[in-house]
Amino acid sequence: MSKLVLKFDNSVLKEVAVGASEVSIGRSPENGLVIDNPAVSHYHARVFQEEGRLMLEDFGSLNGTFVNGQRVKMVTLKPGDSVMVGKHTIVVTESSEPRGLTTWSGDARPAAPKINETVMLDTKARRDFLQQVAAGGESSQMAPARVKVATLVVRFGKTDRKEYSLTDKLTVVGKSAMATVKLKGWFAPKAAVQINRREDNDYYIGAADKVPNVNGVPIAHPTKLASGDVITVAGIELEFVYRD
Amino acid sequence: MTPDIRSEADSTNGMDMELQFGARSDVGCVRENNEDSFRVAPEMNLFVLSDGMGGLASGEIASRLAVDGVVRHCREAQVNAALPLVGKPIAGISEASNRLASAIRVANQAVHGAAQEKGDEGRMGATLAAIRIEAERMSVAHVGDSRIYRLRGGAFEQLTRDHSFVAEQMRQGRMTAEEAVNSALQSVLIRAIGIDAEVDVEASDELLMEGDTLLLCSDGLTRELSDEQIAAVLGENRDAQKTADSLVDLAKQAGGGDNVTVIVVRCLPKPVGALARIGRWFRHSA
Repeated sequence: MSKLVLKFDNSVLKEVAVGASEVSIGRSPENGLVIDNPAVSHYHARVFQEEGRLMLEDFGSLNGTFVNGQRVKMVTLKPGDSVMVGKHTIVVTESSEPRGLTTWSGDARPAAPKINETVMLDTKARRDFLQQVAAGGESSQMAPARVKVATLVVRFGKTDRKEYSLTDKLTVVGKSAMATVKLKGWFAPKAAVQINRREDNDYYIGAADKVPNVNGVPIAHPTKLASGDVITVAGIELEFVYRD
Repeated sequence: MTPDIRSEADSTNGMDMELQFGARSDVGCVRENNEDSFRVAPEMNLFVLSDGMGGLASGEIASRLAVDGVVRHCREAQVNAALPLVGKPIAGISEASNRLASAIRVANQAVHGAAQEKGDEGRMGATLAAIRIEAERMSVAHVGDSRIYRLRGGAFEQLTRDHSFVAEQMRQGRMTAEEAVNSALQSVLIRAIGIDAEVDVEASDELLMEGDTLLLCSDGLTRELSDEQIAAVLGENRDAQKTADSLVDLAKQAGGGDNVTVIVVRCLPKPVGALARIGRWFRHSA
């Protein structure tokens, strides 16, 4: 049986066997071989068996499909062929070939790194990868900043202001010097709760001196906040909203 | 302006907290050399850990240069508050956290410089994880896949996110946790110290509470023990050094495939006078 090995800069990302049913290739998650990269069309191409031959058909993709460097519409594939889709390469192999193509770097290392040994993507590979991340994913630091500003609106209780824009990564509610939402009064806790903006750009509330209620439910573990959530803690009530 | 005069103990510690720490680094059961390094600078409440990589002795050199670079820059800033920050400040974090990020960039320069001097033979890099505590504010900064965890009550939380290929794939939903653990690309980092002339440091502020336990560790620990196992050991609330020893011993019993290094920091209540104790009792019960 033939196999498609998806590689990115010599790293093997995944392997898909081509059986009786065809394997569609594209950015959309419904595909048999998903390549999540903007250079790849949602439904880019397909690989299928016909009369014992392995065929590849490009669905008229924007950036094209290249086999061994040639742009193709429909071709017969053979083991060893290299199919370029965007920046990714799909290598056609027979399943009888040894598995585990774990060499990931094209540079002239004396020996392939041991699996347990920490290695670093070389500069170019990393840059390409980060670009891919920036284009396709939200988990990167390079992700565009949220247009809406997370805001705490005081609905009840004694605080130094009526509203707080959460511009810092960490927001503390309490009497502490580092608190953004300053509580007043003798019995106010130093730090009642904390809200962290994590790298996904979402805000998470967690207990400090006090266990807060969010929409009436006590929060034992850090919990993601959604617009409209009402936080009750240390005698005050705050509404979390995203403002334009 | 009133000059900011505070006693050493006051400036480095929370008003009613005492820091207790323990640390241990072990070569493990498989490797021949220990490429991890750590430094503790108690006078600054600074804790730094690094996992080096590279051929021959390069990994050891890289991690040592890295931790020393961080401590050096923080010490210099301690003496000279006007010491310029290295690199572009990160928005939304405190000055103290930006200083720590700056120190990591200094570490990067040190490792990168040493690697350049050695040429092709000197390909080396390192991870870096560091925390610094000032009163109830904790600065957290890292590059790579060495981790920082916090145990608060029953909540065990990883404060850092791994700068590794598989972690990034998981965050984008392209890999499941199971696939990530079994991936041949487990050890591929997307950020590291010493590879380029500049490094993208991740840094944040955290609130520190009495009773919190912090853990800095190299991947030699997290490869062998699950989060649940680690949290259970930290939750036993023993002396910080005993906790560090027992984490390393357990990782070795589980296989010890890599070097294991841990730093454990516990935030304990400081013995206080009767009046202060009543005040605290009021605050906690309010």
